[in-house]
Amino acid sequence: MTAVSTPGGMQPVPEDQLHVRAQIGEEILRVDGLTKHFPLRGGVFNRQYGAVRAVDGVSLTINAGETVSLVGESGCGKSTTGRCIVRLLDPTAGHVYFKGHDLAQMSHRQMRQMRREIQIVFQDPYASLNPRINVNEIIAEPMRIYGRYKDGGKERVKELMRIVGLNPEHGNRFPHEFSGGQRQRIGIARALALNPQLLILDEPVSALDVSIQAQVINLLEDLQNEFGLAYLFIAHDLSVVRHLSDRVAVMYLGHVVEFGTKHEIFENPTHPYTQALLSAVPLTDPRMRGKRERIVLEGDVPSPSNPPSGCRFRTRCWKAEDICATEVPELIDRFGHGHPSACHFAEPKAVIRG
Amino acid sequence: MGAEPQFVDAPTGVADAEPLLSIRDLVTEFKTPDGIVHAVDGVSYEVFPGETLGVVGESGSGKSVTVMSVLRLIPQPPGRIANGQILLDGTDLLQLSDADMRKVRGKDVAMIFQDPMTSLNPVLSVGDQLAEAILVHNDIGEDAARKRVVELLELVGVPNADQRFDQYPHEYSGGMRQRAMIAMAMANQPKILIADEPTTALDVTIQAQVLEVLERAKEETNAGVILITHDLGVIAEMADRVVVMYGGRVVETGTVDEIFHSPKHPYTLGLLSSLPRPDVDMERLVPIPGQPPSLINLPSGCSFHPRCHLGEGRQTCRTEIPPLFELGPMRASACHFHEEMEDEIHRVESTTGTAIEGDEA
Repeated sequence: MTAVSTPGGMQPVPEDQLHVRAQIGEEILRVDGLTKHFPLRGGVFNRQYGAVRAVDGVSLTINAGETVSLVGESGCGKSTTGRCIVRLLDPTAGHVYFKGHDLAQMSHRQMRQMRREIQIVFQDPYASLNPRINVNEIIAEPMRIYGRYKDGGKERVKELMRIVGLNPEHGNRFPHEFSGGQRQRIGIARALALNPQLLILDEPVSALDVSIQAQVINLLEDLQNEFGLAYLFIAHDLSVVRHLSDRVAVMYLGHVVEFGTKHEIFENPTHPYTQALLSAVPLTDPRMRGKRERIVLEGDVPSPSNPPSGCRFRTRCWKAEDICATEVPELIDRFGHGHPSACHFAEPKAVIRG
Repeated sequence: MGAEPQFVDAPTGVADAEPLLSIRDLVTEFKTPDGIVHAVDGVSYEVFPGETLGVVGESGSGKSVTVMSVLRLIPQPPGRIANGQILLDGTDLLQLSDADMRKVRGKDVAMIFQDPMTSLNPVLSVGDQLAEAILVHNDIGEDAARKRVVELLELVGVPNADQRFDQYPHEYSGGMRQRAMIAMAMANQPKILIADEPTTALDVTIQAQVLEVLERAKEETNAGVILITHDLGVIAEMADRVVVMYGGRVVETGTVDEIFHSPKHPYTLGLLSSLPRPDVDMERLVPIPGQPPSLINLPSGCSFHPRCHLGEGRQTCRTEIPPLFELGPMRASACHFHEEMEDEIHRVESTTGTAIEGDEA
């Protein structure tokens, strides 16, 4: 296993302790300069003429037992980041350290052993379950792959179904017999089967109706408390993000533009994009209508295959000056309150309630 | 051009205003191999000029089928409008001939759909499609129509409208397409503008832009707007009055403030307590237990009773279908025990840690 010490991070955990559950608050994942470019090919010889720079130098950390959210609009690279972490996509550059071991450098065989610690739940509960095998088999599959099924696997499947709030008697049914919310529970049970330490939740509640969404959100909270799971929660719904997260990373066009505790991001955002995002969220209180200043951004998100020079947000930013076109703003703590912001003209401003 | 819409101060003084559109006791069913789906089961509501009526409900609540019935866009078969009246300015749309109905669609009643990519024709330029909407209903030349389209595109905030006229839908971004749809809907100064999940497919910053455009379109035409969405935030932001639907029936109506701050139906309260808030930290969400009902076999009595805390163990809820109790002008609830809602609200508030009743702002 590649045991390099992480820059600024922790010493790698000895291999025999990799699968031991980390203490709450201990850093378990460090993403460092993660980059994923998808090549654009064309012409007679199918030559590469460019790249979609989906993720461009993303860095973040996750501690055991906490929820870190990646939030941003479609095409900002949040899902690609999640997939690179579990190596469903191979990153172009950068490092993903799980307890100090770089997943990005691992062989596929080594990675397989690590995957049981990092599981993923997908957005679409209709597409992520095999329609031809029953629920027992779906949940048992990870255990079979890791050779754990023979040893009490049947009981474990029943237990998992109970944990996620499904009736174990329904294990013989097929995915199409369940509603969207129940299917998402099946997906969560499958992800929990190997007792992972980190769950990547890729928009797990976006496809669900609000009453069902709340059921799944409560389930996720309960599971985290019970098993000390760490979550990387990928979502575009800022209300859900506020409810579930401990820390939030805001992404725009492949960059993290601001990273801080939930409270800092929602009550004290400093990056203009974060502020615009928060001011655009509809509040669920009609009495607040018209009482807050709304920052309406001009235009659309530029193409990630040809992102603007310097700060990528500058084409839609009302603060942009010449320096923004030439210099990429660094993601650094600019006000000493411990949450970094990637804007030359960062400025704390409460916007959510106007 | 028909008669200019009148400027009536709705909805605060709605009592004296005449409704533009009134849906009465509408029943729409679909025949399926598993049985008859009662998608809309006796729905009545009214829309007044210049107001935005929000229609809320989860998937399968019948909110879209209701407005599709208004436009008579229900595929028949398998669908069937089994009962009811849809009165637009006193004319029952359900009695019109197909030819007369075509004159209503896109003129008196216009619709904005959720997904602008599938509702625009990919092989015609956006401008031509908008011009078509105008030419069908007005006896004007193509040049005049083009001029009007460019005006409309400018009005909804499409930059370089003159060049954008000749572009095709795939050359527009999602937000721009939805603006074009709004422009098309307002092209003929409709009396009723129906927006079915107009921003669901859009990102939040684009959603804010489009909602602003929709508001402008309403002011421009003084149409009555029916805004259908499952997003309570959009309702709180846009609607004047709200209709809450569940299992094909209306369960509560009221002003937007009444719905959000003193709900009189346990389902409405359930929606509110399920909803995380962007501006306040909540301790714990209170979801509605169970699943939405099957529209083939609706639960007996109140269709919400299997999921209801208030009705737990109560015989009445299981056996009697609650009528829509009038609680005031334009205020109604279909709950046998709506008088006990105050205690329910307090019970929920103590779990979520946030106030629903709230102070007067």
